[in-house]
Amino acid sequence: MGDYRLSMKGMTKKYGPVTVVEDVDFNVKPGEVHALVGENGAGKSTLLNMLSGVIKATKGQIYIDGNEVEISSPLAARELGIAMIHQELQNVPELSVFQNMFLGRPITKIGTFVDKKYEIQRAKEILKQLDDTIDPTVKIKDLKVSQQQIVEIARALLDNAKVIAMDEPTSSLTPREFENLSVLIRNLAKSGVSVIYVSHKMDEIFTVCDRATILRDGHFIACVDMKDECEDSIVTKMVGRKIEKVSHHSYCTNECVLEVKNLSRGNVVKNASFKVHKGEVLGISGLVGAGRTELFRLIAGLDKPTSGSILVNGKNLPLYSVKQSIAHGIGLVPEDRKKDGILKQRAISVNIAMPDMKRYTKFGLIRRSFLKNISLDFMKELNLRPLNVDRTIGTLSGGNQQKVIIGRWLASGTQIFLFDEPTRGIDVGAKSEIYQVIEDLAKQGKVVLVISSEMTEIMRVSDRVLVMREGEIVANLEHDDINEDNLAKYAIGQNKQVA
Amino acid sequence: MSDTKNELKQAFSLKFNIRDAGTLIGLIIIFIVFSLLSPVFFTAPNLINIMQQSAINAIVALGMTLVIISAGIDLSVGPVAALAAVVCASLMVAGVSVPLAVIAALLVGALYGLFNGVLIAYAGLQPFIVTLGSLSLCRAIALIYTGGNPIFGIPSSFRSFINGSVLGIPCPIIIAAVVAIVLYIILTKTPLGEYIFAVGGNEEAARVCGVPVAKTKIAVYVISGVLAAIAALILVGRLGAAEPTLGNLWEMNAIAAAAIGGASLMGGKGSVFGTILGAIILGSLTNGFTLLNIQSFYQLLATGIIIIVAMLVDRATRGK
Repeated sequence: MGDYRLSMKGMTKKYGPVTVVEDVDFNVKPGEVHALVGENGAGKSTLLNMLSGVIKATKGQIYIDGNEVEISSPLAARELGIAMIHQELQNVPELSVFQNMFLGRPITKIGTFVDKKYEIQRAKEILKQLDDTIDPTVKIKDLKVSQQQIVEIARALLDNAKVIAMDEPTSSLTPREFENLSVLIRNLAKSGVSVIYVSHKMDEIFTVCDRATILRDGHFIACVDMKDECEDSIVTKMVGRKIEKVSHHSYCTNECVLEVKNLSRGNVVKNASFKVHKGEVLGISGLVGAGRTELFRLIAGLDKPTSGSILVNGKNLPLYSVKQSIAHGIGLVPEDRKKDGILKQRAISVNIAMPDMKRYTKFGLIRRSFLKNISLDFMKELNLRPLNVDRTIGTLSGGNQQKVIIGRWLASGTQIFLFDEPTRGIDVGAKSEIYQVIEDLAKQGKVVLVISSEMTEIMRVSDRVLVMREGEIVANLEHDDINEDNLAKYAIGQNKQVA
Repeated sequence: MSDTKNELKQAFSLKFNIRDAGTLIGLIIIFIVFSLLSPVFFTAPNLINIMQQSAINAIVALGMTLVIISAGIDLSVGPVAALAAVVCASLMVAGVSVPLAVIAALLVGALYGLFNGVLIAYAGLQPFIVTLGSLSLCRAIALIYTGGNPIFGIPSSFRSFINGSVLGIPCPIIIAAVVAIVLYIILTKTPLGEYIFAVGGNEEAARVCGVPVAKTKIAVYVISGVLAAIAALILVGRLGAAEPTLGNLWEMNAIAAAAIGGASLMGGKGSVFGTILGAIILGSLTNGFTLLNIQSFYQLLATGIIIIVAMLVDRATRGK
């Protein structure tokens, strides 16, 4: 036990009769990068929350450098040298970098006045080790997300953190930014800091991590050396069953359903033109900020285009009207489920009924049992478990919430599905189910558009791929041209495909 | 057959959620305390009295509940009530028939709500600020319209209607009950109700679903305005006069009743049953303290404590 920087023994967390984490051991050596992996709901967040003092463990001991410690609050965790870097960065955008770093613990002169000079100096020293392009006096909001993340790491170092836990740190980073981050993490480890790395992305874990602890359903499954493992072996342990790799079927026809003509919105979406056919799955690739989500929002009627037109089955779609878009059979499955997708406090059935309330209404009153039956049918089709449509959607896992959102559009008779990062924040097991759903939709002759930043995902689901860069569609890739090289080349590079 | 049965079952289970049960327990505790302190408190006439005193606030608070569930607020209910009252009274005094004058009052409430709603939904202004502006604006209109003087000479037919009773139940209680039932149906049985919850709970998600967000917002302010007018009519009937200064602090009592009843100012949460209980809690405090002859200062104190305790209980039980 003395060998470990951090050792968690027999960690258990119960909420009333429900056990979310049971008897989990978690050991991290000094100077190692340790992955914590598992499907959503496996207990990763609960374990980290117990470590960072956000929630109290029901049972279990925590040792730091061999000494038993009690972590009763986030403050206590910080004092013990444990730092958390959350997926959603916790900073104050309007304050400068150094002010954010010293937030809550300012250095003062005569006990009253903030010693800015010293703080800036100290911030500079720490940032130099990480990324010397960051000026400690600029405002956080003027930095890129990747830089903001570095500031959070700097804040942890300022606290002399021995253990830094990072929850999905790359969810909004580009591939190049991830490379920088991985170098930085390796350097941190070299200097003796232990890093806990939570991620769903296997390639990242293999790039940066030394060892991995795998959780499933709140239980400890294995602690493995990355050298001895491959992607499949880890996934199999996470899921507890083998995930079959399905080859891609195309159900694409020649019948054009959706046609976008010279659609623009300021500088965000520039002159987009393309056609999508019945049964086709069209992938839309590109970097974060390339205008992909914005393109979807124009089609869904959420934003107002500056010019251009959209035709659905040859008929002109009135723009900037969600109602019209829905009436023409367009449904958006948004990237940020919490913000744009779910009605957290309402039942699953209500979430399903929302776009098409009229259908469930007779004499002005909602027919709840009719609604319930319809919802049950669609949720059965999408394999929702447990199959209970009266539950509040906020209590479901990400994958199940996504199924409800898809069910919402299925029930509303949607013909054109717009999936924006359909598997973001969804665990490995549910991911392949979502892919299956996308394929089934194509099979039924629907039109599916999929935005994804994961190349493997794009390649797996798409019949054809558009690559966007800085608001423009720069490539239209088919068949064998859909490969990682091409996707990266057009997304990042200067070249443009000649049509 | 079993369908109807299920619907009934569901209606009941929806109505009686845990939060409402908490409010009910609070009300029962208050009832027990006052019953022990005063022998008069728990008698049929006094209970009817409490209900009657709570009716006006309950009606205003129900409109407020809808607004609050939509993540808005309506600070202008008092002045809107005053304007509706003086318009109605002046028409009646001028010889316009009572039903027409009543309709005019409701129309004043609806139009003013429409004004608030349009500014909030289409101009994108914040509900707090819009209705704060309306609070002054509408009061000013009522004062200017009347020259600041109360309007007397309300026809006795109108007064006896409001002061009458059916089967021993005073008319204001019946009006409040009808309002409660109608709002309960709107909130839990109609698409509008689901839209209100959706807009208040997550406006962006509601937009993505094609929910008519702007119309929903306008609807809640119109309903709030109409209910303020109904409350004003009851007061006019009981007092036999319409004062342009009527309805002072109504917004605060209404917000208090809704909050005690479990409505969340963040939106997306609230219930008709809860608000009714909240209004009765406030009403029984007034009544109990009066019976016990305690200075009204202490009543204010108790109201404040109850609001804060209700919020603490809310916080402690959230997510359970």
